[in-house]
Amino acid sequence: MNKPRLLPWLVAVIPILIAVLYLRRGDVATPGAVLNGLGRLTGIGGLAFLLVSAALSCRVPGFDRPFGGLTKLWQTHHKLGGTALLLVLAHPVLLALGAAEVSITAAARTLVPARLDWSAVSGWSALLVMLVFLAPSFSFFGSPEYQRWRNLHRLATVAVVAALAHTTLAARTIAEPLNTIMWSGLAAAAVAAVAWRFVFSRRKGRLSYVVERVAHPASGLVELSLAPRADALTYEPGQFVYLAPYDHALRAGFGEEHPYTLSSSPTESLLRVAIKDLGDASRAIQRISTGSEVRIEGPYGAFFPRGDTHEPELWIAGGIGITPFLARARHLAATESHRAGPVDVNLIYGVQDETRAHFLDELERLAERTPGFRVTMHYFYREGPLQHEFLARHCPDFTARTAYVCGPVPLIELAEQLLAAAGVPRARIRTEEFTLL
Amino acid sequence: MKKLTYTAFVAFCSSVVTLLIAAALAPDRPAGTERTEPTYTLAEVERHANEDSCWIAVEGFVYDVTEYLPMHPTRPDILLERCGREATDGMRTKGYGRDHSPSAWALLGDYRIGNLEG
Repeated sequence: MNKPRLLPWLVAVIPILIAVLYLRRGDVATPGAVLNGLGRLTGIGGLAFLLVSAALSCRVPGFDRPFGGLTKLWQTHHKLGGTALLLVLAHPVLLALGAAEVSITAAARTLVPARLDWSAVSGWSALLVMLVFLAPSFSFFGSPEYQRWRNLHRLATVAVVAALAHTTLAARTIAEPLNTIMWSGLAAAAVAAVAWRFVFSRRKGRLSYVVERVAHPASGLVELSLAPRADALTYEPGQFVYLAPYDHALRAGFGEEHPYTLSSSPTESLLRVAIKDLGDASRAIQRISTGSEVRIEGPYGAFFPRGDTHEPELWIAGGIGITPFLARARHLAATESHRAGPVDVNLIYGVQDETRAHFLDELERLAERTPGFRVTMHYFYREGPLQHEFLARHCPDFTARTAYVCGPVPLIELAEQLLAAAGVPRARIRTEEFTLL
Repeated sequence: MKKLTYTAFVAFCSSVVTLLIAAALAPDRPAGTERTEPTYTLAEVERHANEDSCWIAVEGFVYDVTEYLPMHPTRPDILLERCGREATDGMRTKGYGRDHSPSAWALLGDYRIGNLEG
């Protein structure tokens, strides 16, 4: 794990460490006191992880780069949120078990006080709301539909407010004013993130584009060419954006933003986005009208390193995971004349069969124009899953290359295993998942 | 993480339900434990105002919390300064408007030695 990705975990652990310093002899005097102490620590940790996770949800373009791209940042956000839930679930149970040393009634009263006070109400509200908005994130009751999941996830704000109220009312471990300073700092980071997402990015962060051309390279696949209305997006090949269509004729997804990979080279005047019909909104957008407006927020992602490189590269694409590679291949071809030497790129493009080999014709044309760029097809129906032997046959020096893998999660995992087993160090394997969770 | 969080969720629900049911079924006070206790005046309580003997008066009862002093989860002097005094306010507000927890109240009961006169 790289250093920036470790940083949120360190920040989230700080309140727990501070609280440990404030524990006294009495907190370890009896088993009940120990359980009570652990109960308080899990409560403090739960709120800290919740706030740091919230602060990471801000999606500021460029902010994701040190974390290895937005999908990696989302994964950190997801794991921090999951840890917060685990801690928050343990918190009341540990406190109640600690009180059970006195009596079973005291234990129950810890969970549900005889006189319901604001501390208990806010605590239980935070916990229950967390369960509601995190249940779909962790597929408690099956996988949710994307937009419904997003709407439910907004309840996170309610959980954060309730959890902060509960901590203000119930905290007694860390002395004042440190307690207030610490929580205010973390809460400010979370509030700033939410304010960015729901106020600033809506007003200033989104660029307005017009759909200029709608191409259908295959059925169930559309490539939109977009012209900027005012400011144009500055991006690098292989990055992605959040795109919201504003076409009233759409059957679904009007004004909803979804992440899509940019397939154009930054040297082109139009922005191109390739979209496969994988859900309601991406199915509807296949029929978007030319002349309608879309709004773009981004760019995100750090799949490829910045600028030109002459390092030998191995690209492994699966299905629609070809889009970032298509963007880079278009860019390599477009910038061919200003490059000092040839590139050294071997693309292995895995699809089910010939009918799914989207953009293959164009990739082959690009390969002809770009010395050092080779395309090898891998058909699953013929070759089965990707194997070491296939890589070695078509790219004998693959272990000496930096590998870029994009596609469905099973393909990414398989490629990672193959490459690692062949001795490619982890630092030379870069992946980009298409699923966010 | 999906399996882990779901397992924790189920464990949480079962622990809470078990605790609440167990508490609902348990008798509040075991039969035959009613105590006949001595009665003390506040003046008598005031004679136990140090860490060698610390009595406090709370809501009409007198408690000897000497043995509890080192276990109290604040700086020692917070509780020590209440020794030998009427400490209801301290129990109910902790000095800043917050009541002690139900388990703290239940714990206090273990140190009761008698009634407060008047």
